[in-house]
Amino acid sequence: MATATAASSTAREQTLGTLAGTGRLLRFQARRTRVYLTGWFVGLVGMSWLVAASFPELYPSPEDRAEFALTVDTPAMRSMTGPGEYLDAYAASTGAMFAHQMILWTGAIAAVMFILLITRLTRSDEETSRLEVIRSLPVGRRSDLAAALMLAAFAAVALGLLMALAVSGMQGVDAEGALLYGLGFTAIGIVFASVTAVAAQLASYGSSANGLAFGTLGFTVLMGAIGSAQESWPLWLSPVGWAQLTYVFTPEQRWWPLAVAAVVGALLVWLAFALVAKRDFGLGMLPGRPGPSIAAPGLNSIGTLTFRLTRGLLWAGVITMLVLGAAYGSVVGSADDMLSGLSDTQRQLIDQGGGSMAENFSATIAKIDAFFATIFGLLVIGRARKEETGGRGELLASAPVPRSGWPGSYLPAALLVSATATVVGGIGLGLAAAGSVGDWSYFGKLLLASVIQIPAVWVMVALAFACFGWLPRAGWLRWLPWVYTFVVGYYGDLLEVPGRARDVSPFEHAGAYPAQDVEWLSIAVLLVVGAAIAALGLAGVRRRNLHFA
Amino acid sequence: MTSVIHTEKLVKRFGHVTALDGLDLEVAEGQTHGFLGPNGAGKSTAIRVLLGMLRADGGAARLFGADPWSDAAELHRRLAYVPGDVALWPGLSGGETIDVLGRLRGGIDKRKRDELLERFDLDPRKKGRSYSKGNRQKVALVAAFAADVPLLLLDEPTSGLDPLMAAVFNECVREVAAEGKTVLLSSHVMSEVEALCEKVSIIRKGVVVESGTLTEMRHFTRSQIHATLKNPVRGLGDHEGVHDLKADGLDVRFQVDAGALDDVLTQLAVSGVAALTCEPPSLEELFLRYYGDELASRGLDNGNGD
Repeated sequence: MATATAASSTAREQTLGTLAGTGRLLRFQARRTRVYLTGWFVGLVGMSWLVAASFPELYPSPEDRAEFALTVDTPAMRSMTGPGEYLDAYAASTGAMFAHQMILWTGAIAAVMFILLITRLTRSDEETSRLEVIRSLPVGRRSDLAAALMLAAFAAVALGLLMALAVSGMQGVDAEGALLYGLGFTAIGIVFASVTAVAAQLASYGSSANGLAFGTLGFTVLMGAIGSAQESWPLWLSPVGWAQLTYVFTPEQRWWPLAVAAVVGALLVWLAFALVAKRDFGLGMLPGRPGPSIAAPGLNSIGTLTFRLTRGLLWAGVITMLVLGAAYGSVVGSADDMLSGLSDTQRQLIDQGGGSMAENFSATIAKIDAFFATIFGLLVIGRARKEETGGRGELLASAPVPRSGWPGSYLPAALLVSATATVVGGIGLGLAAAGSVGDWSYFGKLLLASVIQIPAVWVMVALAFACFGWLPRAGWLRWLPWVYTFVVGYYGDLLEVPGRARDVSPFEHAGAYPAQDVEWLSIAVLLVVGAAIAALGLAGVRRRNLHFA
Repeated sequence: MTSVIHTEKLVKRFGHVTALDGLDLEVAEGQTHGFLGPNGAGKSTAIRVLLGMLRADGGAARLFGADPWSDAAELHRRLAYVPGDVALWPGLSGGETIDVLGRLRGGIDKRKRDELLERFDLDPRKKGRSYSKGNRQKVALVAAFAADVPLLLLDEPTSGLDPLMAAVFNECVREVAAEGKTVLLSSHVMSEVEALCEKVSIIRKGVVVESGTLTEMRHFTRSQIHATLKNPVRGLGDHEGVHDLKADGLDVRFQVDAGALDDVLTQLAVSGVAALTCEPPSLEELFLRYYGDELASRGLDNGNGD
């Protein structure tokens, strides 16, 4: 009897063939990613829930929402939100307004979650030798991919249900609508998981697989933005657009656009499974390119090496900030119209004490530009830590380079990257604002408004460097000040944060040009404070042990 | 002879763990010095203190007579280092990495670099992320051997190399030594240390338990003797310098203390010797002597008894 059972289970394993062991791998991968998944769930659902809770207060009456709908009904605003079909339903349903404002951004962020999930479970495992160990076990050659995709599918369904819960209870939201809203995110998750599954077969490295998938995301979001702005077909090229095209919570609500996602997802999964069995283990379908055998003459110092190693982040910053700047800047022209559509709370948010609404709004978006540009500086500091924990710094720490050179050169690199990102963001803001207002003086205004934020950005970067110098293990500590200043700066009025708690943030002292005059003295003070913190950070870097892997 | 590396009662702690517990290490100029010990004995920690990456908690360390912590960058002009686990930049090719490291040292001898690439059979155009462990190590080795510096610190440099490449490595170390350069070679490959090093320090739990030339160290340990005698010998077992005596008719095997060798051989000669082999202790046996108790506590034979 026992033999017969054993024999039949062996037979079952054999019929499963290339998928053998998928169930066990699924459990293993679920365990490995539970913290990752929980973190993303909490972040995405929490963010949606917070916004859902704040909307009734911001736009209490149908009239408020109808007026707001008018201000959103410009090509520029639609490109940053979604198709115009939602706008007519703003008055009748807070849910429709919420869906219109939220699906694009939350959907894009959810896509990032699934891209990173699939890459880390497939190509990154293959790039290191982790997957090699697993493949040497009695498991099929498609089983790890199958387990990763199943895990992503489960996570997508869970995310959809949680999102449905987060929006239920809002005005104008029924159970069917809430479920449709949630399943829109399930669809986005599954599509981008399958896109990444294919990318992981094409690319040879985790970083290039991520690059391919993020490129796809960026391209489709751009197509969606164009589609929404022009109210035309390119929106159908975007997986996030499919969720928007359900017109959820409006009278035109429909399910079938999600079927497009199902079909595309199935095709991509089929392609990934075909490719994974076709290619050699460890290699991608796209061959890796060799590098130069001799270093370029310029690559001759620790500074140029650090610059070379952080070049990718610089480009990421330039492109992101240009797009972000153009998006925000294009709204300045309609700022005066928006004034009437805003509730008192929102007006308070934007009021910087300036003459016109456009100037107030310019000051606000220049500050937002600086917040986002800071991120790229902090990412460069994070690289310094990775060079250390990854062991690569050991070759440099043993070279005739003082600590101020390595890892110290990451400070000037971070200052350079963050300042460049701020300026480029300002250029994007200025060009788009000047275009939308029809007044070229706005180019100069927004550029200067952004440039004067740089000292505050540098204080934040120096602070992260000081954390790296003194408490290198606490990576979260490098981000804490940024989160604090962002919350205080962005939601300070809404949350009624007391003045003294706000004054800690350097951005509070960078002034509010063009709404107010430039305060050169406080900018100079910021520079001095930044320099002092940077010096403190360098002292920390000099005195501590370097820990390599 | 001036000493290039000198540590005295060097202490380094990580939290509750004491990695170096009063380490005394002395490496003279021009010497190829073997630094022996199993994983976790403190070899890498000692080297990283000497490189100024870690700050010592006690004792003194001197590199070329200077403080390795405060004068790190200046001292690094005079040395090249190969880490035990070489990590490379994923986006830089091997050639670029070698050039950058060379240029940080003030320039690289292109002819020597290319010659070493040839000898180590390394493709410099591959990107860092696509090299195997052995090839990553070769990148660091080429960078180190191409540098014109008086001191090489090599931390288990051959752990990923195949035997052919290990032979190339040995050749390179000999050439460097012939030029009068100092080499500290940390390793647990006994044959490598035995072949290359004039002097050896054995480290255990953060302390140097034995240091000297191989000849000196052998002097304190036993040789293995295998003799076929013409007549039976008596009283050999009673000699206090003789250990583990096994007699099978006229065939005797035993270990003998270096000090008693003279005496015992005379006694054997009296009986008449048909055949005799005398093996000096291998470095491995010397090494195991210091770690024998550790092996015994894990229920393993210390390798001396057949």
